[in-house]
Formats: sequence, C-alpha cells, structure tokens
Amino acid sequence: MSEINLELNQVSRRFGGLQAVDHVSFNVTKPELIGMIGPNGAGKTTLTNLMSGMLKPSSGTIYLNGRRIDGHPPYDVTRAGLGRTFQITRALGRMSVLENMLVPGLAHNPRASKVDLTERAHEILTLLTIDHLTNELSRALSGGQRKLLELGRLLMLDPAVIILDEPFAGVHPRLQDTITNYIYRVHDNGKAIIFISHNMGAVFELSERLIVLHHGAVIADGDPQTVRSDPAVIDAYLGHDEDD
Amino acid sequence: MTNRGRSPDPQAIARNLLGSLGIYRVIDGIHRVGAAIGAPVSAGFKRFETRVDAGIGRRRLGFILLGLIILYFLWFPNDTSQSNYAKTVFISGFFYAIMSSSWALLAGIAGQFSFGHMAFMGIGAYVAGLIARDGIVFALLGVNVTPESISAVGAIILGTAAAGLVGLVIGWLLLRLRSAYLALFTIAFSELFRIMMLTEYDYTGGSNGLSLRPLLEIADVNTARQVEYYLMFGLLILCLLALYWVANSPIGLFLRAMREDEDAASALGVNVVRYKILVFVFTSMIVGFAGAIFYSDVGSERIIPEQLEILQMSLIIAYAVIGGMESLIGAAAGAFISRYMLEAMRQVVISLPFGMTTHDGSDAFVWDTGYWRFALFGVVMVFTLRYMRNGLLFPIITWFGGRDIAMKETVSKRESDDEHAARLEADDE
Repeated sequence: MSEINLELNQVSRRFGGLQAVDHVSFNVTKPELIGMIGPNGAGKTTLTNLMSGMLKPSSGTIYLNGRRIDGHPPYDVTRAGLGRTFQITRALGRMSVLENMLVPGLAHNPRASKVDLTERAHEILTLLTIDHLTNELSRALSGGQRKLLELGRLLMLDPAVIILDEPFAGVHPRLQDTITNYIYRVHDNGKAIIFISHNMGAVFELSERLIVLHHGAVIADGDPQTVRSDPAVIDAYLGHDEDD
Repeated sequence: MTNRGRSPDPQAIARNLLGSLGIYRVIDGIHRVGAAIGAPVSAGFKRFETRVDAGIGRRRLGFILLGLIILYFLWFPNDTSQSNYAKTVFISGFFYAIMSSSWALLAGIAGQFSFGHMAFMGIGAYVAGLIARDGIVFALLGVNVTPESISAVGAIILGTAAAGLVGLVIGWLLLRLRSAYLALFTIAFSELFRIMMLTEYDYTGGSNGLSLRPLLEIADVNTARQVEYYLMFGLLILCLLALYWVANSPIGLFLRAMREDEDAASALGVNVVRYKILVFVFTSMIVGFAGAIFYSDVGSERIIPEQLEILQMSLIIAYAVIGGMESLIGAAAGAFISRYMLEAMRQVVISLPFGMTTHDGSDAFVWDTGYWRFALFGVVMVFTLRYMRNGLLFPIITWFGGRDIAMKETVSKRESDDEHAARLEADDE
C-alpha cells in the first residue's frame, strides 16, 4: 500500500468578485472512499482543478505526501501521485484506446517496456469491459465507454489519490455498475478516492466519508450518516435546493 | 396521386425534354462503358491484393517499392540524358521535401500549426551567411571567430544553432497560445524577420539577398551538380530518419497526445511545456540546417527575403496537406511531386495530330502557363481538403499498411452505451 497524505490548508480561489473556493481545509491520510457533494456552483470542480494543478490557489497550500503541489503544473501533480478524471470526458480522440492508455504509462515511466505496458493496459481494459475496443480510435467510443477509458488511463499512472469528477453523469445504469466495481476495486488496492457526484444514491451507498461544499466552503465533513442529519447541510443543500 | 388540376411539374417537363434528346441514353452509355472498364480493373486489383496478402505481404512490398524509389533517385544523376536543369529541379524538390516533412511533424503530429517554418529556415541561412562574411565574437566565452578562421561547415553549424535558439524562445513564447492564435503569432514573427532582412540592406543585402560561403568548390559544372544532388538527397534521407525516430518514440506519442488535448495530456503526466519547446527547437534546427546548406550555393547561390514571404510558407503547407499532413513520408512526397509538377507545367505543349498546324504554322500548341499553374495547384488543394483530408497519398500509404497515420475508423464496431450494457447483461446471465 502506497503512502497517502493529502493535506489542504486554507485553500482559496477567487474569480474576480466571486469566492469560488473559500478557505477549504481537509486531510486524506488513509485509503478512504470520499464523496464530495454540494449544490451547483458550490466549488467542487474548482477545488478539483486546484488540487490537480489546473488552477493556482489565490491563497493556501496543498501538500501531497510531504511535497507541496499547489501551483505546480498538472503533469507534476500527476507524477506526485494525484490523478483525476474530467466531468466532460477528454479522450485523445484520434489516438487508439491502447495509445490513450500508453500515454500515461510512458509519461509515468518513460523507460518502461512497451510490451509490459500493453499487457497491463489489456488487463485494465478487460476489467473495464472495453478490451474489445483496444485498437479503435477513442473518438469512436460512446459516452459511457469514454468515461471507462478515462478511469483506465488513471490506473496506468498508479496514483495514491484519485479524484473522479462526476463519474456517473450521463452513463447507462449498467455501465455505472462497472464504474462502481472499478471504484471498489481501486479502493481495495489501497488508494484514496474522492468522487464528486450529483447521484445521491451512489454517494450514500459508496462513500465512507462525505465532504459537503456550499458557496466554496466546507460546511460538513464526516461519516455519511452524521452528515445527512447535520442541520447546516439540510438547510443548505438537501432541504430546499430544487436543482438537485 | 395524380397531377390533374395542378400546374404541370417543371421537373417532369425537363425530364421529358432530356429524354427526347437522348441525354439519358448518353449518360447510360457512359455508365456502361465505365462499368465495362471498371469491373475487370477492380477485379484484377482484388486478385492482385489477395496474391500480395498471401505472398510477400503489403508491408514488405511497400518497403521494396520504397527501396526501388530510393535506388532510382540514387541512379538519376548518372542518367546522361538528363540535363543539369532537371537535377536542379530535383535538388530543390529534396529541399522542399525536408521543409514539408518537418512541418508535418510540427503541425500534423504535434498540432502546432506554425507559419514560422520558413523564417527558421531563413535564420539558419542568414546567420550562416553573415557569420561567414563578418565573423562573430562570443564575448562570454572569450572566443573571436573571424571570417578567415571559419569554414563553410562551421558557419552552417552556427546557423543551425541560431535557428534552434530562436526556436527555443519562440516555443517558450507560444506556450499559452493555441490554434489560430499560434498561427497569427508565427505569421507576425515570420513577417517581422523578413522585413528586418529587407530593411537592413546595408548589412543583409536587402532584396538583393545574401550570398553564403559556398559549401562545395567544384570547378566542373556537371560534377558539381552531381555532388550537390547527392548531398541534398542524403540530407533528405537523414532528416526523414530523424523525424521518424522522434515520431515513433514515446516523444511522438506525447506530441500526438498534446495535439489532441493539451490539458488532458498534462493531467496524464505529459510535460507539455517541455515537449512543445522541444518540437519547436528540433524542427527549427532541421530547417535551419537544411536552409543553411541549400543556400550555401548547393541549391541556390543566395538567400533573398522574398523566399520568406507568407506565400512561400503557404506553399510548404500546401505541399504537406496534399501529401498528407500527418504522414512524414506523405508530406515529403507531396512536396517533391508538387515541386516537380509546378516545374513541368511551366510550359504545356500539346502536339496536334493528323498533320494539323496552328495559325503560325507550328505543329503544336504551346501554352506558357505562368501563374496559372499555381491556380491549378490551388484547385488540387481545394479538392484535397474537401474530399481527402488525409492527403492524396493516404489511400496508398494505408494500403501498404503504413502505421504513421492511425486514422482508420471501423465504424462497424461502434457500440452505443445501450448496446454495451445489453452485452454485459447477456454476459451476466
């Protein structure tokens, strides 16, 4: 089991007059399944972008396994051991599914043998039920299959912490089961997973810990049952927000 | 439904008119002739295909053909029936093949649609020429290079280094620019360089151009042409090998990932900053090197700012597009064939049959095409972009199983989420 220590200290991000993320602090120190929820515009995706290096925080620090990663470019954060998927999938369209898998594999370890990486890619694609598409261009994949491919690419990196941005959105229920299996499996391999979802059923079923964001700030952080009955959460989110 | 009570159908009238004129019979006849010729040809091709697949295999056949083409090029200058002019055309064809294939790596594979390629070539040539004429002082290193102490080769190497250095700076400046912005930036850079060379005429020779130190000093014209030919051809092979080596290494994979989606590539651990700068430095050095050699009296005796115009750059792009932007060998072949055709079409001669003569008594029409050949070239490019976006050579390269363009889509295998789910459910039971 790899070392896991993700540490956010007072992380904030402003966009002009909007405080998108407001002094967020939390730690991830063990292989947990963490659900992250919040109404639309609560700052979930911005926080993901801050953690993965796509955005720089206006203030605050982020450490991963003792290394400061805030403000570092995404490839550096990825190599430090934090991988992410995108809410809107970003398959490398005119490259084959296998090539999509080899890019992170070789980026992670340029000296790795292509044969070994290909073998590993096949194992992962089989787990994700898209092994029959190995040599297809990834732009020929359906929406759900692209989600699966993104999850597969993450495994090639072997990160300690994985952030999944809306892994279930727009995916056929049966493929959602495949994704759920994937999440359990990766979790069993000793990785921390933070997943953002609007699918409340999935969140309460999967997560061991729940972080609730509202107006960019963490309003609750704890086990799902406690969070569910937290008055602040009910008021801000579950109670009367008609969006969800 | 009947037509009664309605105004007559104009289409029906037209059909009847055409029918009575026998147009349909003519069209039908053309179809029949086409089918009569086409069917045996395509059947013959199918037979050929199966025999190749059963025998030596397409890939091997492709390599054999490539070998034969290379042998032809090696033999060509020894063909005594060919003029020195023909050799000159080939030499410039090789040069443009280097330009287009390296641009294909930059734009087709790495996705950096740059208009600065000609300018980088110009930097290589101008710097080599100026250093050979005036020398250079490296104050920090305490080295003073005088014109007497530097050889033509030394000047070419320094020109190449200068092109690489500028490539490094430009690559760094372009880090945050994509697609149209990158193209505009490189157009501006390229024009800036050209106008500088034009304006500083006291130093650069202005529109008269700059002579570089001749690389070869061979008195006999025929021998000189032959040596220049082999030099440029060797350089083309060398450049193609270097380009393929990069394209087929993990770097090539990262470059394509960068082309597809920079953010996604970065999130997958690809250091996009490094590879973007690297591809600019690498291709700049290649064209800087090729330019410095070509203008050292190998293909041309002087570099003129006119060579660096956007029109010239557009031609490089057009050659690559016609040959296949994402295939290095396709772009090279596209450039060579286009150059050759543009040269061959300078004058079109149509001999008249049956002893007919023109009004001034000659037995052939002679058409000096002038700029019309570029117009025709434009038509070819429009056709390519509309109907064969991967280049005119794409069907040939894929037939031989070329791997460098993985653009084939097997739509038959496409599967919707629902179908995928249904298959999984069937497996569950």
